[in-house]
Amino acid sequence: MTPGAAAFRRHARNVAVLLGAAALLAWTVFPFFWILLTSLKSPADILSVPPKFVFAPTIENYAALVFGEQRGQYSSTRPDFPLFFLNSMIISVGAVALSITVGIPAAYALARFSFPLKNLLAFLFLSFRFVPFIVFVIPLYLIYQRVGLYNTHAGLIFAYQLISLPFTIWMLRSFFMEVPLEIQEAAKIDGCSWLGVLTRVILPLSMPGIAVTVILGFMFCWNAFNYPLMLAGRQTFPVTVGAIQFISYEQVLWGQMAAATTVAALPQLLLSLLVQKYIVRGLTMGAVR
Amino acid sequence: MRADETGRRRRRRPAAVLPYLLLSPALVLLGGMIYPFALGLYYSLTNYWLQYPDRFRVVWFENYFELLEEPLFLRALEFTLGFTVVAVVVQVGLGLAVALFLHGRIPGRGVIRALMLLPLMIPPVITALMWKIMMASTNAGILNHMLSFLGVEPINWFGSTQGAVVSVLIIDTWGNLPFVALILLGGLQALPSEPYEAARVDGAGAAAILRYVTLPLLTPFIVLVVTFRAMDSLRIFDVIYATTAGGPNDATTNLHIMAYQYAFQWYQMGRGMTQAVVLLLLVVTVSYLLLRLWNRAAERMAP
Repeated sequence: MTPGAAAFRRHARNVAVLLGAAALLAWTVFPFFWILLTSLKSPADILSVPPKFVFAPTIENYAALVFGEQRGQYSSTRPDFPLFFLNSMIISVGAVALSITVGIPAAYALARFSFPLKNLLAFLFLSFRFVPFIVFVIPLYLIYQRVGLYNTHAGLIFAYQLISLPFTIWMLRSFFMEVPLEIQEAAKIDGCSWLGVLTRVILPLSMPGIAVTVILGFMFCWNAFNYPLMLAGRQTFPVTVGAIQFISYEQVLWGQMAAATTVAALPQLLLSLLVQKYIVRGLTMGAVR
Repeated sequence: MRADETGRRRRRRPAAVLPYLLLSPALVLLGGMIYPFALGLYYSLTNYWLQYPDRFRVVWFENYFELLEEPLFLRALEFTLGFTVVAVVVQVGLGLAVALFLHGRIPGRGVIRALMLLPLMIPPVITALMWKIMMASTNAGILNHMLSFLGVEPINWFGSTQGAVVSVLIIDTWGNLPFVALILLGGLQALPSEPYEAARVDGAGAAAILRYVTLPLLTPFIVLVVTFRAMDSLRIFDVIYATTAGGPNDATTNLHIMAYQYAFQWYQMGRGMTQAVVLLLLVVTVSYLLLRLWNRAAERMAP
């Protein structure tokens, strides 16, 4: 092979790598870019053929989310997006708070004690992660209708435990297990009880892990769609269910839907920057570090 | 002797109960889910129809037998399994390619990796709506507009049976490809370097190294992503609900969507629950098979 041919091959390889990287980047980012553009368009610009990349931006769609009263839409049927956003906050924060409170002792038991049934219980918690939601949502719907939990924040926070509690227990357990046993034994020799070990050793040393678990748990609750779809009503819809309210039989309000998806995704995009390094770990319930 | 034994038992006892005490709040919470679950199982044996509560009666396995005779159920079962197989193969295949690509020296690798996290963390239903906007069937849809440069006629994404299936697959892949790619990339970066050196000494080419060194070493990670993706594909709901709602002509109706329709569109809670139980059995069976596969892969990896 002549030096020229080798240089050409290296050059061709570099171009191919660059093209590959560009394609991957475009595939990943373009949808976000396009939805952001769409959310800033007037209805006429959205329907233009060919699609416009350059247009006079408008904040009309976002204003409609906040203030409502869009053309031809009555306030009674208009999705109340600020309320949905607030609902998402209330339900997600409530669900995570409950999961963490209950999950810390449970994870401690599963990480640091050996007892019969341990693996079975750990597996039982994990198995909730894989159950199709419809299995729970049908009976929960019927029970909620009867006992008055339908369309309430409390009912949703309880249902969301199916999402956040197995996750919280498994994540915290994986973080607790990383605390060196030697420190725990040293604390025990110094006279710490099991409670002392938990509050003075495990918890302080796992603070970053707990923070990650809280943030990721919040994000998974924020993402939930199917439980609230069936168990919430107009007063308690979170943003995920709220965003599909812009589709009706008569029309799809594309611009407002784009604005709503942007607003629904925004907290997630910001939070994922915070917990970048732990997202894969979170999605596998702590299995992949 | 006796006194000593009881004394020891008394001393050991708190420690033996403690883990259960610590677990009890969590068990109460999730145990609270066992009741609805059991109630659901019971309803699957009844003809519970919300509009006709007075006709309520236990029909035992009638619902289950009726399912087998229902053409839509068999089509939904076929779609559920077919979609899962195709989605897993496509996503794990592409994910492996992306992981191998990013494992090399790529300009801007850190940026690409960070950005690839974003589709993972936004709500799947939001992902679906984003693509629904891009997949508008006229030329106003950006995707059709882009394809027109390649000479492709406007595609009726959600309106045709084939288009709808492909659309759901594309959307699901966009949302989950990063999951597969990032886990496999992490796996690649954790692989030991000795086997590679040995293979290189033996004069193995890049393809041989991939086939005989990388893939076998990566097997536990591959089985892990296959398990997660298969479990989630079997019960995919959000994306289908928000885009095609199972249509057109039931082309994208899987068992999950069908159970939803029975229970929340026709309010036949008994039939819906039967459908849900069948889906659960399917998920349990597949996860059992995959876990066995994982154990075997892990055993083979153990020194």
